Amino acid sequence: MITIENLTKYYGNNRAVNHISFTINDNEILGFLGPNGAGKSTTMNMIAGYLPMSDGTVTIYGADITKEPGKAKRNIGYLPEIPPVYPDMKVKEYLSFCAGLKRVPRGERKNEIERVMKLLKIKDVEGKLIRNLSKGYKQRVGFAQALLGNPKFLILDEPTVGLDPNQVAEVRAIIKDLKNEHSVIFSSHILSEVSAICDRVVIINKGDIRAIDTIENLERSFVNSLVLHLKVKGSKSKTASIIETTKGVKEITSIDDEGNDIYSFTVQLEGDADAIRDSIMDDCLKNHVSIIEIFTDKPNLENVFIELINRPVKKSGLQELLDETPDESEADAEDQGEEEKEEE
Amino acid sequence: MFPIYKKELQSFFYTPFAYAMAALFMLLFSLSFSTGIAQIEETNTWAFSFTEMFYSVILYFIFLIPILTMRTFADERKNGTEVLLMTSPVSTAKIVIAKFLANITVYLFMLAGTVVFPIITSMKGEVVVSQLICAYIGIFCWGAMYIALGMLISSFMETPVIAAIVGEVIMFGLLFVDDLANTPFISQYPKLQSVIYAFAAQPRFAYFSEGFIRLSDLVFFASAIIVLLVWTYITIEKRRWNRG
Repeated sequence: MITIENLTKYYGNNRAVNHISFTINDNEILGFLGPNGAGKSTTMNMIAGYLPMSDGTVTIYGADITKEPGKAKRNIGYLPEIPPVYPDMKVKEYLSFCAGLKRVPRGERKNEIERVMKLLKIKDVEGKLIRNLSKGYKQRVGFAQALLGNPKFLILDEPTVGLDPNQVAEVRAIIKDLKNEHSVIFSSHILSEVSAICDRVVIINKGDIRAIDTIENLERSFVNSLVLHLKVKGSKSKTASIIETTKGVKEITSIDDEGNDIYSFTVQLEGDADAIRDSIMDDCLKNHVSIIEIFTDKPNLENVFIELINRPVKKSGLQELLDETPDESEADAEDQGEEEKEEE
Repeated sequence: MFPIYKKELQSFFYTPFAYAMAALFMLLFSLSFSTGIAQIEETNTWAFSFTEMFYSVILYFIFLIPILTMRTFADERKNGTEVLLMTSPVSTAKIVIAKFLANITVYLFMLAGTVVFPIITSMKGEVVVSQLICAYIGIFCWGAMYIALGMLISSFMETPVIAAIVGEVIMFGLLFVDDLANTPFISQYPKLQSVIYAFAAQPRFAYFSEGFIRLSDLVFFASAIIVLLVWTYITIEKRRWNRG
Protein backbone atom coordinates (compact mmCIF):
# COMPACT_ATOMS: atom_id res chain seq x y z
CA MET A 1 0.00 0.00 0.00
CA ILE A 2 1.13 3.51 -0.75
CA THR A 3 0.20 6.22 1.70
CA ILE A 4 0.35 9.91 0.94
CA GLU A 5 -0.14 12.11 3.93
CA ASN A 6 -0.42 15.86 4.12
CA LEU A 7 1.67 16.32 1.02
CA THR A 8 2.43 19.99 0.45
CA LYS A 9 4.61 21.85 -1.99
CA TYR A 10 5.49 25.50 -1.99
CA TYR A 11 7.31 27.21 -4.82
CA GLY A 12 8.49 30.28 -2.99
CA ASN A 13 5.28 31.72 -1.57
CA ASN A 14 3.20 30.00 -4.18
CA ARG A 15 1.44 26.90 -2.91
CA ALA A 16 1.24 24.30 -5.66
CA VAL A 17 -0.01 21.37 -3.61
CA ASN A 18 -1.97 21.89 -0.44
CA HIS A 19 -1.99 19.20 2.27
CA ILE A 20 -3.30 16.36 0.21
CA SER A 21 -3.72 12.86 1.63
CA PHE A 22 -4.86 9.65 0.00
CA THR A 23 -3.86 6.01 -0.28
CA ILE A 24 -3.35 3.65 -3.17
CA ASN A 25 -4.35 0.08 -2.37
CA ASP A 26 -2.65 -3.02 -3.70
CA ASN A 27 -3.81 -4.02 -7.16
CA GLU A 28 -5.67 -0.81 -7.67
CA ILE A 29 -5.62 1.75 -10.44
CA LEU A 30 -6.09 5.18 -9.00
CA GLY A 31 -6.97 7.95 -11.41
CA PHE A 32 -5.49 11.35 -10.66
CA LEU A 33 -7.61 13.87 -12.39
CA GLY A 34 -7.37 17.59 -12.74
CA PRO A 35 -7.03 20.39 -15.26
CA ASN A 36 -3.62 21.54 -16.48
CA GLY A 37 -1.75 23.32 -13.73
CA ALA A 38 -3.75 21.65 -10.99
CA GLY A 39 -0.63 20.27 -9.31
CA LYS A 40 -0.81 16.78 -10.80
CA SER A 41 2.76 16.57 -12.07
CA THR A 42 4.16 18.21 -8.95
CA THR A 43 2.39 15.61 -6.83
CA MET A 44 3.59 12.77 -9.07
CA ASN A 45 7.15 14.08 -8.90
CA MET A 46 6.99 14.18 -5.13
CA ILE A 47 5.58 10.68 -4.87
CA ALA A 48 8.35 9.43 -7.15
CA GLY A 49 10.97 11.11 -4.99
CA TYR A 50 12.18 13.53 -7.64
CA LEU A 51 10.95 16.70 -5.98
CA PRO A 52 11.38 17.12 -2.25
CA MET A 53 8.13 18.01 -0.50
CA SER A 54 7.68 21.08 1.66
CA ASP A 55 5.65 19.06 4.13
CA GLY A 56 4.06 15.65 4.50
CA THR A 57 5.12 12.08 3.90
CA VAL A 58 4.99 9.51 1.14
CA THR A 59 5.28 5.91 2.27
CA ILE A 60 5.78 3.22 -0.35
CA TYR A 61 5.32 -0.30 0.98
CA GLY A 62 6.54 0.78 4.38
CA ALA A 63 9.52 2.81 3.18
CA ASP A 64 9.45 6.58 3.56
CA ILE A 65 10.60 8.18 0.29
CA THR A 66 12.73 10.82 2.04
CA LYS A 67 14.14 8.64 4.81
CA GLU A 68 14.82 5.48 2.85
CA PRO A 69 14.91 6.67 -0.76
CA GLY A 70 16.87 3.68 -2.06
CA LYS A 71 14.44 1.15 -0.63
CA ALA A 72 11.34 3.10 -1.64
CA LYS A 73 12.54 3.86 -5.15
CA ARG A 74 13.22 0.21 -5.88
CA ASN A 75 9.47 -0.38 -5.83
CA ILE A 76 8.67 2.50 -8.15
CA GLY A 77 8.36 2.62 -11.90
CA TYR A 78 7.91 6.19 -13.05
CA LEU A 79 6.87 7.56 -16.40
CA PRO A 80 7.09 11.36 -16.20
CA GLU A 81 5.12 13.71 -18.39
CA ILE A 82 7.99 13.97 -20.88
CA PRO A 83 9.42 10.49 -21.46
CA PRO A 84 12.97 10.54 -20.02
CA VAL A 85 14.79 9.13 -23.03
CA TYR A 86 18.25 9.81 -24.42
CA PRO A 87 17.88 10.81 -28.08
CA ASP A 88 21.34 9.48 -28.93
CA MET A 89 20.70 5.97 -27.67
CA LYS A 90 19.15 3.03 -29.42
CA VAL A 91 15.98 1.65 -27.89
CA LYS A 92 17.49 -1.60 -26.69
CA GLU A 93 20.64 0.14 -25.46
CA TYR A 94 18.50 2.58 -23.52
CA LEU A 95 16.42 -0.13 -21.91
CA SER A 96 19.54 -2.05 -21.01
CA PHE A 97 20.93 1.08 -19.32
CA CYS A 98 17.68 1.56 -17.41
CA ALA A 99 17.64 -2.09 -16.34
CA GLY A 100 21.11 -1.61 -14.85
CA LEU A 101 20.06 1.62 -13.21
CA LYS A 102 17.09 -0.11 -11.61
CA ARG A 103 19.31 -2.94 -10.40
CA VAL A 104 17.68 -5.69 -12.41
CA PRO A 105 20.00 -8.69 -11.80
CA ARG A 106 22.42 -9.15 -14.67
CA GLY A 107 21.15 -12.60 -15.61
CA GLU A 108 17.54 -11.49 -15.90
CA ARG A 109 18.17 -8.29 -17.83
CA LYS A 110 17.88 -9.74 -21.30
CA ASN A 111 14.57 -11.48 -20.62
CA GLU A 112 13.23 -8.48 -18.80
CA ILE A 113 14.02 -6.15 -21.72
CA GLU A 114 12.42 -8.59 -24.15
CA ARG A 115 9.35 -8.79 -21.94
CA VAL A 116 8.71 -5.05 -21.77
CA MET A 117 9.48 -4.56 -25.46
CA LYS A 118 6.94 -7.24 -26.31
CA LEU A 119 4.38 -5.79 -23.93
CA LEU A 120 4.58 -2.32 -25.44
CA LYS A 121 5.10 -3.52 -29.00
CA ILE A 122 8.38 -1.72 -29.55
CA LYS A 123 10.35 -4.79 -30.61
CA ASP A 124 10.31 -3.60 -34.23
CA VAL A 125 12.22 -0.40 -33.33
CA GLU A 126 14.76 -1.93 -30.90
CA GLY A 127 17.72 -1.05 -33.13
CA LYS A 128 16.60 2.49 -33.93
CA LEU A 129 17.94 5.66 -32.42
CA ILE A 130 15.36 7.14 -30.07
CA ARG A 131 15.95 10.50 -31.77
CA ASN A 132 14.30 9.13 -34.92
CA LEU A 133 11.21 7.69 -33.27
CA SER A 134 7.76 9.24 -33.45
CA LYS A 135 6.25 10.74 -30.33
CA GLY A 136 4.04 7.74 -29.79
CA TYR A 137 6.99 5.37 -29.88
CA LYS A 138 9.05 7.59 -27.58
CA GLN A 139 6.17 7.56 -25.14
CA ARG A 140 6.04 3.78 -25.26
CA VAL A 141 9.80 3.48 -24.79
CA GLY A 142 9.44 5.67 -21.72
CA PHE A 143 6.62 3.45 -20.52
CA ALA A 144 8.72 0.33 -21.11
CA GLN A 145 11.43 1.87 -18.94
CA ALA A 146 8.94 2.30 -16.08
CA LEU A 147 7.97 -1.38 -16.26
CA LEU A 148 11.55 -2.69 -16.13
CA GLY A 149 12.26 -4.76 -13.08
CA ASN A 150 8.55 -5.24 -12.51
CA PRO A 151 8.20 -2.61 -9.75
CA LYS A 152 5.14 -3.02 -7.55
CA PHE A 153 4.09 0.59 -7.82
CA LEU A 154 3.72 2.46 -11.09
CA ILE A 155 3.41 6.21 -11.44
CA LEU A 156 2.19 7.16 -14.88
CA ASP A 157 1.94 10.85 -15.67
CA GLU A 158 -0.38 11.30 -18.63
CA PRO A 159 0.81 8.17 -20.42
CA THR A 160 -1.55 8.49 -23.36
CA VAL A 161 -0.74 12.06 -24.36
CA GLY A 162 0.44 12.28 -27.95
CA LEU A 163 -0.65 8.81 -28.95
CA ASP A 164 -3.03 8.08 -31.80
CA PRO A 165 -6.47 6.66 -30.90
CA ASN A 166 -5.38 3.14 -31.69
CA GLN A 167 -2.30 3.39 -29.47
CA VAL A 168 -4.35 5.02 -26.73
CA ALA A 169 -6.63 1.98 -26.67
CA GLU A 170 -3.59 -0.31 -26.56
CA VAL A 171 -1.93 1.57 -23.73
CA ARG A 172 -5.17 1.63 -21.76
CA ALA A 173 -5.49 -2.11 -22.19
CA ILE A 174 -1.92 -2.54 -20.93
CA ILE A 175 -2.60 -0.39 -17.87
CA LYS A 176 -5.74 -2.41 -17.13
CA ASP A 177 -3.71 -5.61 -17.31
CA LEU A 178 -1.07 -4.17 -14.98
CA LYS A 179 -3.64 -4.12 -12.22
CA ASN A 180 -3.14 -7.83 -11.62
CA GLU A 181 0.36 -7.37 -10.27
CA HIS A 182 0.80 -3.68 -9.57
CA SER A 183 -0.64 -0.65 -7.90
CA VAL A 184 -0.95 2.18 -10.35
CA ILE A 185 -1.45 5.89 -10.02
CA PHE A 186 -2.32 7.35 -13.31
CA SER A 187 -2.87 11.02 -14.06
CA SER A 188 -4.91 12.51 -16.80
CA HIS A 189 -6.96 15.52 -17.62
CA ILE A 190 -9.30 13.43 -19.74
CA LEU A 191 -12.22 12.23 -17.70
CA SER A 192 -13.45 9.49 -20.01
CA GLU A 193 -10.02 7.89 -19.93
CA VAL A 194 -9.97 7.80 -16.16
CA SER A 195 -13.51 6.50 -15.92
CA ALA A 196 -12.67 3.75 -18.40
CA ILE A 197 -9.80 2.19 -16.47
CA CYS A 198 -9.66 3.44 -12.91
CA ASP A 199 -11.18 1.97 -9.80
CA ARG A 200 -11.14 5.20 -7.89
CA VAL A 201 -10.40 8.79 -8.76
CA VAL A 202 -8.78 11.64 -6.94
CA ILE A 203 -9.88 14.95 -8.38
CA ILE A 204 -7.52 17.83 -7.75
CA ASN A 205 -7.54 21.47 -8.68
CA LYS A 206 -5.21 24.28 -7.68
CA GLY A 207 -3.45 21.97 -5.28
CA ASP A 208 -6.56 20.94 -3.36
CA ILE A 209 -8.34 17.62 -3.43
CA ARG A 210 -11.90 18.11 -4.60
CA ALA A 211 -13.09 14.52 -4.37
CA ILE A 212 -11.85 11.01 -3.74
CA ASP A 213 -14.36 8.37 -4.71
CA THR A 214 -15.30 5.74 -7.22
CA ILE A 215 -16.66 7.00 -10.52
CA GLU A 216 -20.06 5.42 -9.80
CA ASN A 217 -20.44 7.17 -6.49
CA LEU A 218 -19.45 10.50 -7.94
CA GLU A 219 -22.01 10.15 -10.67
CA ARG A 220 -24.70 9.00 -8.29
CA SER A 221 -24.23 11.90 -5.92
CA PHE A 222 -24.84 14.33 -8.70
CA VAL A 223 -27.52 12.56 -10.67
CA ASN A 224 -30.33 13.58 -8.34
CA SER A 225 -29.52 17.21 -8.47
CA LEU A 226 -30.43 19.28 -11.46
CA VAL A 227 -28.73 22.37 -12.72
CA LEU A 228 -30.43 25.47 -14.03
CA HIS A 229 -28.60 27.84 -16.34
CA LEU A 230 -29.93 31.33 -16.51
CA LYS A 231 -28.65 34.27 -18.50
CA VAL A 232 -30.22 37.64 -17.81
CA LYS A 233 -29.79 41.27 -18.67
CA GLY A 234 -30.38 43.53 -15.70
CA SER A 235 -29.47 43.79 -12.08
CA LYS A 236 -27.24 41.08 -10.69
CA SER A 237 -28.34 41.39 -7.08
CA LYS A 238 -32.03 41.57 -7.97
CA THR A 239 -31.83 38.39 -10.02
CA ALA A 240 -29.88 36.68 -7.29
CA SER A 241 -32.48 37.50 -4.70
CA ILE A 242 -35.25 36.27 -7.01
CA ILE A 243 -33.48 32.97 -7.45
CA GLU A 244 -32.67 32.66 -3.79
CA THR A 245 -36.26 33.14 -2.72
CA THR A 246 -37.66 30.66 -5.21
CA LYS A 247 -38.71 27.41 -3.62
CA GLY A 248 -36.69 24.39 -4.68
CA VAL A 249 -33.43 26.26 -5.26
CA LYS A 250 -30.56 24.60 -3.43
CA GLU A 251 -27.83 27.10 -4.10
CA ILE A 252 -26.31 29.41 -6.67
CA THR A 253 -23.05 27.83 -7.65
CA SER A 254 -21.67 30.51 -9.93
CA ILE A 255 -22.33 33.95 -11.32
CA ASP A 256 -20.46 35.11 -14.38
CA ASP A 257 -20.32 38.70 -15.52
CA GLU A 258 -20.47 38.66 -19.30
CA GLY A 259 -20.41 42.41 -19.76
CA ASN A 260 -23.13 44.84 -20.85
CA ASP A 261 -25.15 44.02 -17.73
CA ILE A 262 -25.49 40.42 -18.80
CA TYR A 263 -24.98 37.80 -16.10
CA SER A 264 -25.17 34.06 -16.25
CA PHE A 265 -26.15 32.10 -13.21
CA THR A 266 -25.68 28.42 -12.48
CA VAL A 267 -28.16 27.18 -9.94
CA GLN A 268 -28.56 23.84 -8.25
CA LEU A 269 -32.12 22.65 -7.95
CA GLU A 270 -34.07 20.15 -5.94
CA GLY A 271 -37.48 18.81 -6.91
CA ASP A 272 -39.61 19.70 -9.92
CA ALA A 273 -37.33 21.51 -12.33
CA ASP A 274 -40.04 22.70 -14.70
CA ALA A 275 -42.06 24.33 -11.92
CA ILE A 276 -38.99 26.05 -10.53
CA ARG A 277 -38.01 27.29 -13.96
CA ASP A 278 -41.47 28.71 -14.61
CA SER A 279 -41.54 30.37 -11.23
CA ILE A 280 -38.18 32.03 -11.79
CA MET A 281 -39.25 33.20 -15.25
CA ASP A 282 -42.43 34.76 -13.83
CA ASP A 283 -40.58 36.55 -11.06
CA CYS A 284 -37.98 37.89 -13.45
CA LEU A 285 -40.65 39.30 -15.76
CA LYS A 286 -42.39 40.94 -12.82
CA ASN A 287 -39.16 42.55 -11.71
CA HIS A 288 -38.19 43.74 -15.20
CA VAL A 289 -35.21 41.48 -15.54
CA SER A 290 -35.02 40.30 -19.14
CA ILE A 291 -34.14 36.66 -19.64
CA ILE A 292 -31.78 35.88 -22.47
CA GLU A 293 -31.44 32.19 -21.87
CA ILE A 294 -32.89 29.67 -19.42
CA PHE A 295 -32.64 25.90 -19.39
CA THR A 296 -32.28 23.02 -16.99
CA ASP A 297 -29.56 20.42 -17.37
CA LYS A 298 -28.87 16.99 -15.97
CA PRO A 299 -25.28 16.70 -14.89
CA ASN A 300 -23.32 14.07 -16.80
CA LEU A 301 -19.89 12.89 -15.77
CA GLU A 302 -18.25 15.73 -17.61
CA ASN A 303 -20.40 18.22 -15.71
CA VAL A 304 -19.59 16.48 -12.46
CA PHE A 305 -15.92 16.92 -13.18
CA ILE A 306 -16.21 20.56 -14.17
CA GLU A 307 -18.45 21.19 -11.20
CA LEU A 308 -16.03 19.51 -8.84
CA ILE A 309 -12.94 21.30 -10.00
CA ASN A 310 -14.64 24.67 -10.08
CA ARG A 311 -16.32 24.31 -6.77
CA PRO A 312 -14.64 26.53 -4.19
CA VAL A 313 -12.98 24.62 -1.41
CA LYS A 314 -14.88 26.53 1.20
CA LYS A 315 -18.41 27.10 0.01
CA SER A 316 -18.80 30.82 -0.37
CA GLY A 317 -22.03 32.49 0.54
CA LEU A 318 -24.19 34.33 -1.91
CA GLN A 319 -22.70 37.69 -1.04
CA GLU A 320 -19.25 36.40 -1.80
CA LEU A 321 -20.39 35.11 -5.17
CA LEU A 322 -21.98 38.45 -5.96
CA ASP A 323 -18.86 40.37 -5.07
CA GLU A 324 -16.64 38.09 -6.96
CA THR A 325 -15.74 39.20 -10.43
CA PRO A 326 -14.91 36.28 -12.71
CA ASP A 327 -11.23 35.69 -12.33
CA GLU A 328 -8.81 34.11 -14.70
CA SER A 329 -8.86 30.70 -13.13
CA GLU A 330 -12.54 30.24 -13.81
CA ALA A 331 -12.06 31.19 -17.42
CA ASP A 332 -9.20 28.69 -17.57
CA ALA A 333 -11.33 25.95 -16.13
CA GLU A 334 -13.94 26.58 -18.76
CA ASP A 335 -11.36 26.47 -21.53
CA GLN A 336 -10.19 23.27 -20.03
CA GLY A 337 -13.64 21.78 -20.20
CA GLU A 338 -13.95 22.75 -23.82
CA GLU A 339 -10.59 21.28 -24.66
CA GLU A 340 -11.60 18.03 -23.17
CA LYS A 341 -14.77 17.88 -25.17
CA GLU A 342 -12.72 18.48 -28.29
CA GLU A 343 -10.25 15.79 -27.39
CA GLU A 344 -12.97 13.30 -26.84
CA MET B 1 26.68 3.58 -10.27
CA PHE B 2 28.38 1.43 -12.89
CA PRO B 3 25.50 1.66 -15.42
CA ILE B 4 25.79 5.46 -15.37
CA TYR B 5 29.56 5.31 -15.82
CA LYS B 6 29.11 2.92 -18.72
CA LYS B 7 26.39 5.01 -20.31
CA GLU B 8 28.54 8.14 -20.09
CA LEU B 9 31.45 6.37 -21.74
CA GLN B 10 29.16 5.06 -24.46
CA SER B 11 27.94 8.56 -25.15
CA PHE B 12 31.58 9.60 -25.67
CA PHE B 13 32.90 6.58 -27.53
CA TYR B 14 29.88 5.47 -29.59
CA THR B 15 29.84 8.93 -31.13
CA PRO B 16 32.72 10.70 -32.84
CA PHE B 17 32.95 12.95 -29.80
CA ALA B 18 35.84 11.40 -27.87
CA TYR B 19 37.83 10.68 -31.02
CA ALA B 20 37.42 14.19 -32.37
CA MET B 21 38.51 15.58 -29.00
CA ALA B 22 41.51 13.27 -28.81
CA ALA B 23 42.48 14.08 -32.41
CA LEU B 24 42.27 17.80 -31.80
CA PHE B 25 44.31 17.45 -28.64
CA MET B 26 46.93 15.38 -30.44
CA LEU B 27 47.12 17.93 -33.23
CA LEU B 28 47.75 20.77 -30.80
CA PHE B 29 50.21 18.67 -28.84
CA SER B 30 52.16 17.71 -31.95
CA LEU B 31 52.27 21.31 -33.08
CA SER B 32 53.93 22.38 -29.86
CA PHE B 33 56.15 19.31 -30.04
CA SER B 34 57.47 20.19 -33.47
CA THR B 35 57.86 23.81 -32.47
CA GLY B 36 59.81 22.62 -29.45
CA ILE B 37 62.13 20.57 -31.61
CA ALA B 38 62.65 23.41 -34.03
CA GLN B 39 63.82 25.61 -31.18
CA ILE B 40 66.51 23.21 -30.08
CA GLU B 41 69.88 24.66 -30.83
CA GLU B 42 72.61 22.60 -32.43
CA THR B 43 74.68 22.66 -29.29
CA ASN B 44 71.94 21.07 -27.24
CA THR B 45 71.37 17.37 -27.08
CA TRP B 46 68.09 15.77 -28.09
CA ALA B 47 67.40 15.18 -24.46
CA PHE B 48 64.98 17.97 -23.98
CA SER B 49 62.58 17.84 -21.11
CA PHE B 50 58.88 17.95 -21.71
CA THR B 51 58.47 20.65 -19.13
CA GLU B 52 57.84 23.46 -21.51
CA MET B 53 55.64 21.39 -23.72
CA PHE B 54 53.38 20.36 -20.93
CA TYR B 55 53.28 23.92 -19.82
CA SER B 56 51.91 25.03 -23.18
CA VAL B 57 49.55 22.07 -23.33
CA ILE B 58 47.71 23.54 -20.37
CA LEU B 59 46.40 26.25 -22.65
CA TYR B 60 44.77 23.73 -24.93
CA PHE B 61 43.02 22.15 -22.02
CA ILE B 62 41.24 25.37 -21.37
CA PHE B 63 39.48 24.89 -24.66
CA LEU B 64 38.95 21.16 -24.51
CA ILE B 65 37.83 20.43 -20.97
CA PRO B 66 34.69 22.56 -20.98
CA ILE B 67 33.68 20.86 -24.21
CA LEU B 68 34.23 17.51 -22.54
CA THR B 69 32.23 18.36 -19.45
CA MET B 70 29.57 20.66 -20.88
CA ARG B 71 27.01 17.90 -21.39
CA THR B 72 27.45 16.20 -18.02
CA PHE B 73 24.38 17.64 -16.33
CA ALA B 74 23.07 20.29 -18.71
CA ASP B 75 22.24 17.62 -21.28
CA GLU B 76 20.32 15.52 -18.76
CA ARG B 77 18.30 18.55 -17.90
CA LYS B 78 17.68 19.41 -21.53
CA ASN B 79 16.49 15.87 -22.36
CA GLY B 80 14.37 15.57 -19.24
CA THR B 81 16.36 12.49 -18.25
CA GLU B 82 17.41 13.99 -14.94
CA VAL B 83 14.11 12.62 -13.61
CA LEU B 84 15.12 9.13 -14.65
CA LEU B 85 18.39 9.27 -12.73
CA MET B 86 16.91 10.98 -9.70
CA THR B 87 14.03 8.53 -9.34
CA SER B 88 16.28 5.50 -9.72
CA PRO B 89 17.66 3.81 -6.61
CA VAL B 90 21.07 5.40 -7.32
CA SER B 91 21.89 8.30 -4.99
CA THR B 92 22.85 11.74 -6.25
CA ALA B 93 26.36 11.43 -4.83
CA LYS B 94 26.92 8.25 -6.83
CA ILE B 95 25.61 9.90 -9.97
CA VAL B 96 28.13 12.72 -9.54
CA ILE B 97 31.00 10.30 -8.91
CA ALA B 98 30.05 8.06 -11.85
CA LYS B 99 29.98 11.02 -14.19
CA PHE B 100 33.27 12.36 -12.85
CA LEU B 101 34.97 9.00 -13.36
CA ALA B 102 33.61 8.77 -16.91
CA ASN B 103 34.99 12.20 -17.75
CA ILE B 104 38.33 11.24 -16.19
CA THR B 105 38.41 8.10 -18.33
CA VAL B 106 37.96 10.08 -21.53
CA TYR B 107 40.60 12.49 -20.33
CA LEU B 108 43.05 9.65 -19.71
CA PHE B 109 42.27 8.38 -23.19
CA MET B 110 43.25 11.79 -24.57
CA LEU B 111 46.42 11.87 -22.46
CA ALA B 112 47.37 8.34 -23.45
CA GLY B 113 47.72 9.46 -27.05
CA THR B 114 50.44 11.92 -26.13
CA VAL B 115 52.75 9.19 -24.85
CA VAL B 116 53.74 8.67 -28.46
CA PHE B 117 55.85 11.84 -28.41
CA PRO B 118 58.22 10.83 -25.60
CA ILE B 119 58.51 7.43 -27.30
CA ILE B 120 59.58 9.03 -30.56
CA THR B 121 61.98 11.27 -28.70
CA SER B 122 63.51 8.37 -26.84
CA MET B 123 64.25 6.61 -30.13
CA LYS B 124 66.50 9.38 -31.38
CA GLY B 125 67.45 11.01 -28.13
CA GLU B 126 67.01 10.73 -24.46
CA VAL B 127 64.01 11.29 -22.24
CA VAL B 128 64.25 12.08 -18.56
CA VAL B 129 61.69 9.50 -17.53
CA SER B 130 61.30 10.54 -13.90
CA GLN B 131 60.58 14.10 -14.87
CA LEU B 132 58.19 12.97 -17.56
CA ILE B 133 56.22 10.87 -15.09
CA CYS B 134 56.03 13.83 -12.73
CA ALA B 135 54.77 16.02 -15.54
CA TYR B 136 52.09 13.49 -16.39
CA ILE B 137 50.97 13.27 -12.76
CA GLY B 138 50.79 17.06 -12.66
CA ILE B 139 48.83 17.36 -15.85
CA PHE B 140 46.47 14.63 -14.71
CA CYS B 141 45.81 16.42 -11.40
CA TRP B 142 45.27 19.71 -13.15
CA GLY B 143 42.89 18.16 -15.67
CA ALA B 144 40.94 16.30 -13.00
CA MET B 145 40.45 19.54 -11.12
CA TYR B 146 39.24 21.31 -14.26
CA ILE B 147 36.88 18.43 -15.01
CA ALA B 148 35.34 18.79 -11.57
CA LEU B 149 35.05 22.52 -12.22
CA GLY B 150 33.49 21.91 -15.65
CA MET B 151 30.96 19.55 -14.08
CA LEU B 152 30.05 22.15 -11.51
CA ILE B 153 29.47 24.71 -14.25
CA SER B 154 27.41 22.18 -16.20
CA SER B 155 25.26 21.56 -13.14
CA PHE B 156 24.37 25.25 -13.05
CA MET B 157 23.36 25.48 -16.69
CA GLU B 158 20.33 24.57 -18.74
CA THR B 159 22.08 23.99 -22.05
CA PRO B 160 25.47 22.44 -22.83
CA VAL B 161 26.63 25.27 -25.11
CA ILE B 162 26.27 27.88 -22.41
CA ALA B 163 28.02 25.55 -19.98
CA ALA B 164 30.94 25.30 -22.41
CA ILE B 165 31.22 29.03 -22.99
CA VAL B 166 31.06 29.89 -19.30
CA GLY B 167 33.56 27.11 -18.61
CA GLU B 168 36.03 28.50 -21.15
CA VAL B 169 35.88 31.95 -19.62
CA ILE B 170 36.25 30.81 -16.01
CA MET B 171 39.02 28.31 -16.70
CA PHE B 172 40.91 30.78 -18.81
CA GLY B 173 40.59 33.34 -16.04
CA LEU B 174 41.90 30.85 -13.47
CA LEU B 175 45.14 30.54 -15.42
CA PHE B 176 46.00 34.07 -14.43
CA VAL B 177 45.36 33.85 -10.71
CA ASP B 178 49.10 33.87 -9.96
CA ASP B 179 49.61 36.78 -12.33
CA LEU B 180 46.87 38.61 -10.52
CA ALA B 181 48.59 37.94 -7.21
CA ASN B 182 51.81 39.37 -8.60
CA THR B 183 50.35 42.61 -9.90
CA PRO B 184 51.84 45.72 -8.26
CA PHE B 185 48.48 46.61 -6.77
CA ILE B 186 47.95 43.30 -4.99
CA SER B 187 51.63 43.17 -3.98
CA GLN B 188 51.02 46.14 -1.74
CA TYR B 189 49.01 43.87 0.52
CA PRO B 190 51.18 40.83 1.21
CA LYS B 191 48.47 39.04 3.18
CA LEU B 192 45.93 39.39 0.39
CA GLN B 193 48.61 38.38 -2.07
CA SER B 194 49.35 35.18 -0.21
CA VAL B 195 45.66 34.30 0.01
CA ILE B 196 45.16 34.77 -3.71
CA TYR B 197 48.37 32.95 -4.43
CA ALA B 198 47.12 29.97 -2.43
CA PHE B 199 44.38 29.50 -5.00
CA ALA B 200 46.72 29.56 -7.99
CA ALA B 201 47.10 26.15 -9.60
CA GLN B 202 49.64 27.21 -12.21
CA PRO B 203 52.68 27.48 -9.90
CA ARG B 204 51.80 24.14 -8.33
CA PHE B 205 51.71 22.55 -11.71
CA ALA B 206 55.09 24.11 -12.43
CA TYR B 207 56.62 22.04 -9.62
CA PHE B 208 55.24 18.86 -11.11
CA SER B 209 56.50 19.62 -14.59
CA GLU B 210 59.96 20.29 -13.19
CA GLY B 211 60.00 16.88 -11.60
CA PHE B 212 58.95 17.61 -8.04
CA ILE B 213 56.12 15.80 -6.34
CA ARG B 214 55.19 17.80 -3.29
CA LEU B 215 52.58 16.54 -0.87
CA SER B 216 51.13 20.03 -0.49
CA ASP B 217 50.44 20.20 -4.21
CA LEU B 218 48.76 16.79 -4.25
CA VAL B 219 46.64 17.86 -1.29
CA PHE B 220 45.77 21.09 -3.10
CA PHE B 221 44.47 19.32 -6.19
CA ALA B 222 42.72 16.56 -4.24
CA SER B 223 40.95 19.00 -1.96
CA ALA B 224 39.99 21.24 -4.89
CA ILE B 225 38.44 18.23 -6.65
CA ILE B 226 36.53 17.19 -3.53
CA VAL B 227 35.25 20.70 -2.90
CA LEU B 228 34.09 21.09 -6.50
CA LEU B 229 32.36 17.69 -6.57
CA VAL B 230 30.60 18.34 -3.28
CA TRP B 231 29.55 21.71 -4.61
CA THR B 232 28.19 20.01 -7.73
CA TYR B 233 26.22 17.62 -5.55
CA ILE B 234 24.79 20.50 -3.54
CA THR B 235 23.87 22.41 -6.69
CA ILE B 236 21.92 19.45 -8.06
CA GLU B 237 20.11 18.87 -4.79
CA LYS B 238 19.38 22.56 -4.47
CA ARG B 239 17.90 22.70 -7.95
CA ARG B 240 15.49 19.94 -7.04
CA TRP B 241 14.26 22.05 -4.15
CA ASN B 242 13.88 25.18 -6.19
CA ARG B 243 12.38 23.62 -9.30
CA GLY B 244 9.29 25.48 -10.35
